[in-house]
Amino acid sequence: MKTSLLRTTGLALLAACLTQAPAQAEPRLTVISQWSAGAEGAAMDAFGKMVTEKGVKWEHSPVSGFTTDMMNKLRADIIAGKPPAASQLKGPEIKAWSAIGATVNLNDVVKATDYEKNISADLAKIHKPKGDWIALPLQIYRVNTLFASKKAMDKVGATELPKTWDEFNALAAKMAAAGITPVAHGGIGWADAMYFELTLAGISADAYRKAIMELDDKALRGPEVLAAFKQLRQLTKWMSPSNAGQHWSVFLPALMKGDYGFLMMGGWASGVLKKGNFEEGKDFLCGPTPNNTGKPVFDMNADGMIFWDTKNADLLAGQKATAQVAMSKEFAKTFTQINGSIPVRTDIDLADAGFQDCQRDAAKNLAGAIQANQAIMSLGHNMAQTSPVTAALRDVLTEFVHNDKITPEEAQKRLADAADTVR
Amino acid sequence: MTQTATTMQAGQTRPARTAPRRSWLSDIPDLLTRIVAGLIAAAAVSYVVGFTLWTVVISFTDSTLLPEYSFVGFKHYFTLLRSRVWQVAYFNLTIYGLGFILGATGLGLLLAILIDQKIRAENLLRTIYLYPMALSFVVTGTVWAWLLNPTIGVEHFVRSLGWAQFNFGWLVDRDMAIYCVVIAAIWQASGFAMALFLAGLRSLDADLYKAAAIDGASPARMYLRIMVPAIWPIVVSVLVILLQTAIKTYDLVRALTAGGPGIATTLPTNVVYDYMFQRGLMGAGSAAAVMLLLSLLIVLLPYALFQRLRRGKGGGHG
Amino acid sequence: MVEARSLSARGGRILLYAILIAFAAFYLTPLIVVILNSFRSFQEITQTSVLGFPKEFRLDNWVQAWGSYCIAGICSGISPYMWNSLLIAVPATLISTLLGAMNGYLLSLWRFRGAGLIFGIITFGVFLPAQMKLVPWAITLRDLGLSNTLAGLVLIHVVQGMSFTTLFCRNYYVNVPQDLIKAAKVDGAGFLQIFWRIILPLSPPILIVTVIWQFTGIWNEFLYGITFSEGSARPVTAALMALSANIAQAREYGIESASVLIAALPTLLVYLFGGKYFVRGLTAGAVK
Repeated sequence: MKTSLLRTTGLALLAACLTQAPAQAEPRLTVISQWSAGAEGAAMDAFGKMVTEKGVKWEHSPVSGFTTDMMNKLRADIIAGKPPAASQLKGPEIKAWSAIGATVNLNDVVKATDYEKNISADLAKIHKPKGDWIALPLQIYRVNTLFASKKAMDKVGATELPKTWDEFNALAAKMAAAGITPVAHGGIGWADAMYFELTLAGISADAYRKAIMELDDKALRGPEVLAAFKQLRQLTKWMSPSNAGQHWSVFLPALMKGDYGFLMMGGWASGVLKKGNFEEGKDFLCGPTPNNTGKPVFDMNADGMIFWDTKNADLLAGQKATAQVAMSKEFAKTFTQINGSIPVRTDIDLADAGFQDCQRDAAKNLAGAIQANQAIMSLGHNMAQTSPVTAALRDVLTEFVHNDKITPEEAQKRLADAADTVR
Repeated sequence: MTQTATTMQAGQTRPARTAPRRSWLSDIPDLLTRIVAGLIAAAAVSYVVGFTLWTVVISFTDSTLLPEYSFVGFKHYFTLLRSRVWQVAYFNLTIYGLGFILGATGLGLLLAILIDQKIRAENLLRTIYLYPMALSFVVTGTVWAWLLNPTIGVEHFVRSLGWAQFNFGWLVDRDMAIYCVVIAAIWQASGFAMALFLAGLRSLDADLYKAAAIDGASPARMYLRIMVPAIWPIVVSVLVILLQTAIKTYDLVRALTAGGPGIATTLPTNVVYDYMFQRGLMGAGSAAAVMLLLSLLIVLLPYALFQRLRRGKGGGHG
Repeated sequence: MVEARSLSARGGRILLYAILIAFAAFYLTPLIVVILNSFRSFQEITQTSVLGFPKEFRLDNWVQAWGSYCIAGICSGISPYMWNSLLIAVPATLISTLLGAMNGYLLSLWRFRGAGLIFGIITFGVFLPAQMKLVPWAITLRDLGLSNTLAGLVLIHVVQGMSFTTLFCRNYYVNVPQDLIKAAKVDGAGFLQIFWRIILPLSPPILIVTVIWQFTGIWNEFLYGITFSEGSARPVTAALMALSANIAQAREYGIESASVLIAALPTLLVYLFGGKYFVRGLTAGAVK
């Protein structure tokens, strides 16, 4: 490693002398992200280390807090004419933001590898909004993950996670009868929207694709969406009425104690449980959320990194090296082992002890769903639509979850109408 | 910078008008100081006018992630006025604004008067009442969310003491959650109202107290009839500060209820933020901000006119 | 008669203290929760509840918060960010307070045509929502060449702060008797001399209120602090935010609680030491 670093630096220096570039000719990367602390911060630091080993100076400036705070920083930097060389960005926002600032064309770097062949085509499309690669996905989380409290399962004599919504409903009814609140839920807007997407995706991934990802009016007013609202209403009846406005993790202690039965949450929750000294198999079970379609469904939340254009040769060199690292198998393993996500590449072996069963299950799930063409993009996590659309739909969904006077029929109408105003 | 510090010491020893000294002060031409003072005021004015006008212009455009100048007229205003979330937000602002301003003013005045009774440990109590201002709402809002949440907070605690029927579920009740925002906001801001009132009371001539005491007025009467009118301009300051806090409240809702349950505690600023940054619709977000400021003028202008009339009749200052 | 009166006076005193202490309890409850959590580990909070009494008083949250928690690979806790915040908050507070006092003096004691209107417009500035001003400030800073500098942030807080400080000071100074100014003018004192020699010595109570407001507001400000600064020059609120993490993680409530308490110390010190400037009868002394 050391020699290669020396060699790269030496080569860079030599190249700089030959082309008579400015004196400070060394590849570097300025990057902003939300990943500042905890497991995500650690994963980002590991990324930085791998990039540094390629001779690139890593200048990470995290903007923690809400995603909007990071976007504000990006906007201010774009206004000031000094965008960072790379920034965290995901989903359809990549397309929206690339319209206001010039980006780097990564086609040559990507095409030189087997990367594109080994990732989901839908995901690839998001990162080349106009045909050219301008961004790269870094990690994937399975949003449709079901966590069950082992204590609650034991109490009703269940050993396996429910596979379909009918099985789920039957088991939840048993739990309710045993005095357990079947569904744990924090009750913040995005999580409300997420519960809806999980029901619809589990009823028909096709309908989800048409209704939510393509905003198809017929699908939005179709029977699957209505069925999803009915199932969601059933779920809300199984939630504690006092679940509102809390971060989902607040109810983890009660879930592990068996006061709650299930939690539906992205795969990141397994990392939090692990950190809280809870064990998969002993304290909780983990698997995909109920699915009636018979084939694997994967509801995707994938974070990515966009590369902003610059005249600076050092930054350009840094961007290229960073992109190469981000596409590598080594990166895929290291990054996801630390933060509990799964690799973007589907050709990675997760047998290492560093991975959890929950991650292996999700990775297998992803490969199957891609094959069955049922890998879909999450609405609640801004993967399916641009922010204005997501927000308009979310307003309807969150009200439905917290107001049982709204009927599924009324909610379906409101959702389709909301889509009309933003389509 | 250091100037303010010296002033404070000067205030403490109070030399006010003893022995007129010759100093660097008299070397600065009087006209120059006036011009500088005028320029400072002009800068403050142009900031307010400039930023407001800019926002008004943007509100008529279709700006999204960055400002751009393709005009669309009143489109955003109509969309917003018709949207459900905007109507809910305005209704909430009315309840929250009234509850918060009246509550914090009342509590602040009460505490200032009580503290003004030559009590022991004044400094400690004043600091206790003030400290909520020092903690950011990202944290205290979260703590209030726990305290007010029925399954983990006060209700859970009282029930565990044996009172099984005790109910306090406002936070998760669509109709009552907004009052939780009021409680937390009063908790945070009433201390500052107290400090301003106290500064006002302490600015009054000590003779005023003596005169009132000789008059034999009861303490409550003395404060309400004599002291409060005497510090009326300070009362106005308090009201303006609380009004602006009410109008601008944003992170409190975000930390306490995240606008929920559903959208039941959303305030107009949350809508502004949501449109401007989350949805990336700067034109619509600006329109939301302008409407918020307009609604404010509806409250403020009558007051300004009333003041004018009063002054016209020769009534005091303010 | 006399005895009965002193008895009721005594009862009144007891009631007075009872009320004061009851309110102190109301104000202190959330603080107690934060203090207790600052001694609890992540595991303890995750396994029991976010509200609770520590099983043992552990200090490592405090140690980590101050000097070893990692933010973006830099494991220095929040201490270096505290320094950044001081560099922003102290100059911005003092300059805006001084300028506000100046404005207040100009608008209240040198009554000229349009003073009311100017005061109205400046006051209106306090109502402008922070979100609305973010992009105009980004443009302004770019044009002044102050993007991503501490000076830019100080400028923002001074200009925005003037609306508040002018409001406070002007409404305090209108209670100052005009005779005082007239007498000084007769003595031949100029604009600045009257401000310096007469007005400022009368001002400690309002100046401390102004300083409290400005310092607290600037110290706790987050939106501008994070948007207009970079890397290691970030204010402490940005570091605090890093601890309160996002949806994919459970918050580190223990370390966050300790950090928040540490970060609140400078403001609390201002409150404690500012207290002695709440003295009565300054005007009385000046008029005599």
